[in-house]
Amino acid sequence: MTTDSGELPKGFNRHGSNDYVAYFSTEEREVLLNLVEQIIELLSERSDNHSDDPLAAMVGITSHDSPPEDDVLLRLLPNAYADQVDASEFRRYTELTLRTKKSAHAMSMRIDLKSSTDGCVEIDHEGANAWLGAMNDIRLALGVRLKVQENSQEELEILAPDDPMRGVYAVYSWLGWLQESLIQALMNDAL
Amino acid sequence: MVKLDEEVDAKVDEAIKELFNSEKPWITIVWDDPVNLMSYVTYVLMELFSFSREKAHELMMQIHTQGKAVVSTGSREEMEHDVARLHEYGLWATLQRGDQVI
Repeated sequence: MTTDSGELPKGFNRHGSNDYVAYFSTEEREVLLNLVEQIIELLSERSDNHSDDPLAAMVGITSHDSPPEDDVLLRLLPNAYADQVDASEFRRYTELTLRTKKSAHAMSMRIDLKSSTDGCVEIDHEGANAWLGAMNDIRLALGVRLKVQENSQEELEILAPDDPMRGVYAVYSWLGWLQESLIQALMNDAL
Repeated sequence: MVKLDEEVDAKVDEAIKELFNSEKPWITIVWDDPVNLMSYVTYVLMELFSFSREKAHELMMQIHTQGKAVVSTGSREEMEHDVARLHEYGLWATLQRGDQVI
């Protein structure tokens, strides 16, 4: 993946005193939008169905007290306790809030990308944290599907050149690089 | 109001006392994960707990090399709050009593 006009990729850079800016090519923007929309979709699939008690939903209690069966959702919404009874109780009272917060991160990233006409995205500190959370959720989701381990780079080397997983690895690596650029811009602020 | 008999009353009192006087605080543990970037874990610990960069880096290295680290201690309620915030940012965290074997 490259950036516009063959320049070296830059990722996020600090702009002014509080903002962070990145320029995305049309293809990069499409890839990011596609991924972030999949996360929004995935989280909403877990949403409660209409038979739920509306009063319980209002105070943030969900019908879900068992962990998600899907490995990706389980990584995004993990158990808080090793003990199953405690984990279920905690999930019942907190999972809806967690899903809402994760969706809000993803929506924030989606809106920033959608509203960008020239590929330029400018975000403040709060927006940066939302992007970091959303990019991390995307990487966690891809990581689970790719069965990423500490030594995954070595596994990538042995994949056949035409293996479609190579493309997914490329996106996963690029997202890691993009996330890193934003973290470095934020951390240099803290110096 | 329901009138409790004295024996039950005494037991409830004792349980409440134990809850408030517990000398066994709860702990929040962050576990190693092959996806999360080292710099990201450091950044999230700095943001959520206002740790210095050095302290956050030290905890991140402990998570990375030893597989886990205790990042906060306190009441059960406080630790549940910490775990929820860590989950919001995708760190793999659990809580448990401090006197339990990790």
